[in-house]
Order: sequence, then C-alpha cells, then structure tokens
Amino acid sequence: MSWPLGLGGAGGLLVGLLAGVAFGFVLERGGLGDPKKLTALFYLEDFTMLQVMFTAIAVAAAGLGALSLLGVVDLTEIAVQPTYLWPQAVGGLILGVGFALGGY
Amino acid sequence: MNGTRPYWSPYVAGLALGVTLLATYLLMGFGLGASGAFAQIAARLEVAVAPGRAQATPYLMGYLEAGRLWAQWIVVEMVGVLVGAGLGAWTAGRFAWRLEKGPRIGAGRRLAFAFLGGATVGFASRVAQGCTSGVALSGGAVLAPGAWAFLAAFMAGGFATAWIVRRAWR
Repeated sequence: MSWPLGLGGAGGLLVGLLAGVAFGFVLERGGLGDPKKLTALFYLEDFTMLQVMFTAIAVAAAGLGALSLLGVVDLTEIAVQPTYLWPQAVGGLILGVGFALGGY
Repeated sequence: MNGTRPYWSPYVAGLALGVTLLATYLLMGFGLGASGAFAQIAARLEVAVAPGRAQATPYLMGYLEAGRLWAQWIVVEMVGVLVGAGLGAWTAGRFAWRLEKGPRIGAGRRLAFAFLGGATVGFASRVAQGCTSGVALSGGAVLAPGAWAFLAAFMAGGFATAWIVRRAWR
C-alpha cells in the first residue's frame, strides 16, 4: 500500500464526510465556533485561533515529514497549494478585513 | 452557562486538528478546505439565475464541469463540518439559538456586519484560491510559501480593521 492512498469515488466522499465531522467537532470543542473568541485575537485578548492553528500545522507537517523519512508516504503525491504571491497576499488581506467585520 | 463543558485546551484541539489534517492528507492526498464548497454552490446558483452569464464565464464553468454538487469532495466535507460542529456543541451542552455579538451593538447591525464580512471573505477566498482552511491551514502544513504570505496578510487585514469595527465586538 502506498501513501497517500488518493481515494476516489464513494470511498473518498465517505472520508470527506468523516474528515469534515472531525474538523467541525474539533473546531467547536476548541472554541473556534464562537465569533467573539475568534475576533478577540485582533484585540490581543485571546490567542486560541493561533494556538490551535499553529499546533495543527506543526503536528501535520511533522507527521508528513516523519512518514516521508520512514519511506511510508510519497510527498510528491501530496497536493501543495500553488503559490501566487500577490493574489494570496491581497486575498489574505481582504479576508482578514472580512473576518474582523463579520466574525467569520 | 450551567452544565456547559469548558472548551478544550487549544493545544489539545490543535493536536486533534493536526491528526485530522494528517489523516486527510494520507487518505486523499490533499488537505481540508471550506470556501471551495461555497464557490461550488455559488456557481450552481448563478447558472440557475443567469445561465447565459454563467456559461460565458470560464471560471464558473470550471466548477460546473466538475459534475454533480453532491459528488464534490469539499461539499460533502463541509456538510460533515456542520454535523461535527453541531455534534460538538450539542454534546457540550452549548447547542442553542442565539446571536453572538459584542455588548454595544444591536442585532440588526451585527447581522449586517456579518453579511458584509461574509461577502468580503467569500470574495477574498476566490482571490487567494482558498481561505484560512484550504490555504492557511492545509497549505501551511505542507509549507506552501503562498500560505504563509496569506497568513501574514490575513493578520495585517484583521488587525487593521479590528480597531475601526471594535464597537461590534468589545
């Protein structure tokens, strides 16, 4: 078996549903379902969003790195978001504005 | 707040989210997302309302040619997110009908801000090809340079706007 599996069809959709359930459950339990808590970051009162996000990034990145070193996962088969520097910088800026306005 | 479970430690939540993200990458070859589901739905709404215009827009046709809405991975994933978040709130005793807002803003204005903010986020997510989930979280975990540029700009935009709209939340 080679990783990533790259599931398609019904199996892939089932994984999508389950990944979504886990994603939503964890975000809610972590407090990220509360727009007051989310926007509190921008008033330097609550750093939950950064703590959750950077911990998750570190865990997933370390996991992928370790499994690649062990020869378990082929990183060339992992989709990496293409970089379009200006669109992503400008989009990120506008998204931050909307986030502060609406609380996501 | 009687009978409500406290939130998890952010590091526990981060660990759980990281494992979820890692499992998604291992099983699918790509990560988690969110805004793409709204784009999928919006493209189909546009076809229903203004078919001529939608068909003349290659960007929207890209979504439509992907096939049925319910066969789109990110749409199914977002349905899961709604179910999972609802389940999380319900099992923690937090499931309730209420409007989260700052103490100094009326409900109407808060909702107007939410609509404006939502439209802004939706627009921005198409400019950046994703949002805080697909670009910042999933892209960050595979060290995509654009993801980190996005995150830095996102912080700048949020902090710059927060002071102006502080009455909405503080």
